[in-house]
Amino acid sequence: MPRESEVVYVRERERSSPPAVIMENLSVAYGEREILHGFNLEVCSGERVLLSGPSGSGKSTVLHCVLGLVVPREGTVMIWGEPVDSSSVWKARLHLGYVPQEPDLGKGTVRQVLEAPFSFRANERLRGNLEKIPAWLDRFDLPVHLLDKEASTLSGGEKQRVALISAILLERSVVLLDEASSALDQDNKRRVAEYFREAPDLTVLAVSHDAEWADFTTRTVSLALMKKGGPK
Amino acid sequence: MNGIIDITPWQLAGGYLLLLIPLSIFLFQRVPMVREAGIAVIRMTIQLLFVGLYLQVVFRLNNPWLNLAWVGIMVGVADFSIVRGCGLRLSRFVSPVFIALAAGTLVPVFVFMGAILQRSNCLDAQYVIPLWGMVLGNCLRADIIGLRNFYESLKRDEKIYHQSLAQGATLREALDPYMRGALQASLLPTIASMATIGLVALPGMMTGVILAGVNPLTAISYQIAIMIAIFSGTALTVFLALWLTLRKSFDAYGLLDTRVSHKK
Repeated sequence: MPRESEVVYVRERERSSPPAVIMENLSVAYGEREILHGFNLEVCSGERVLLSGPSGSGKSTVLHCVLGLVVPREGTVMIWGEPVDSSSVWKARLHLGYVPQEPDLGKGTVRQVLEAPFSFRANERLRGNLEKIPAWLDRFDLPVHLLDKEASTLSGGEKQRVALISAILLERSVVLLDEASSALDQDNKRRVAEYFREAPDLTVLAVSHDAEWADFTTRTVSLALMKKGGPK
Repeated sequence: MNGIIDITPWQLAGGYLLLLIPLSIFLFQRVPMVREAGIAVIRMTIQLLFVGLYLQVVFRLNNPWLNLAWVGIMVGVADFSIVRGCGLRLSRFVSPVFIALAAGTLVPVFVFMGAILQRSNCLDAQYVIPLWGMVLGNCLRADIIGLRNFYESLKRDEKIYHQSLAQGATLREALDPYMRGALQASLLPTIASMATIGLVALPGMMTGVILAGVNPLTAISYQIAIMIAIFSGTALTVFLALWLTLRKSFDAYGLLDTRVSHKK
């Protein structure tokens, strides 16, 4: 795992390397079933890209490849110019925030869920961000007493907002959102979209069917068209 | 105190009549376990007869190498039972679990033999085989609980585990909750039995020593020592089994290899 000096070094490099994420000729298969074939995508720093496509077209798989949670059969993933492989993936993940589809927050209270990532050595320096939790809860229309509630008892929309706050607190430069607002009402969808609109430094790669995302993303990439290899 | 009363084959055969009780219950309630129970009783009888005859020879010869070989076979059989019982792949897990079992039982048994009983010959058949067997039997149960709990929790909570990796956890940090859970689940039965021992049931070793005509206080000393040996042995084997199997279960990305489980 990287030391703090290494993390600082990586952050310095982010500023001089424009493409936040590059995927080249990516092919992924689960057993015999091919999910992605020759997929290419380049996401520049500060860009907001929406991935669209029918169910099963591999939208979530693209995000999992970026995170190193799915290892492609062929092709390369690069984060800030650094190829993601078995040795660099641990450092690469420190650039990435991730809000999964239907987040499973696990056992414990919401407070414990939000505090958990800060027990990891790589995030220790960000521990001060925990003080900002009440402000973030307020921004996403969640009451402060929710912190003492069992995370497993939250509604789908509450879980999504807690997962989003958890990703925001980690101050990652690239945020991967997998249907991150699917269970939210219109007001909260607007609040979430507004947050990303007001954070121009963030690079966002989102999978969503919501119109709110289409409004603020700069580009839409259709996986249905790119399944057999397509333009960057 | 009197010595132990011998049981003749005819007296033992009379004991088998007790099996009519579960058999009647199974037939009355139509519980489909008659065949399994019958096979289990036959296996128990044959296995124990075989072990009894074999141990007579082993005890008479009392050769350290032969004793060690017998212990090796016991560890090997326990090893296969654990890996099979957990539904894990034999080819991958047999060696790490064998090492965990061998090391995890050797330490408490040798401490028992050397420091507590102060035997100059730590491989004396009369002591080492029954003691190793008792520690090993408990380790087998604990290892099955621990390994099953660990791998099943990881599969069940895959999304939470992946989220920890995505949030910047090292492999060890991401696995910590599952290791804790597995150790807790596997050691709980031993802790519970230590907490209630003597109140709920008289343990096997103590009963055996008392039946052999030994003073109950000596029997209690043996029981306390063996419980401590079992507890430390189970903790050590489960801990080692978890750590030694990790290398064969996760890839360099920290992802659980789906081929850890035996295909059903």
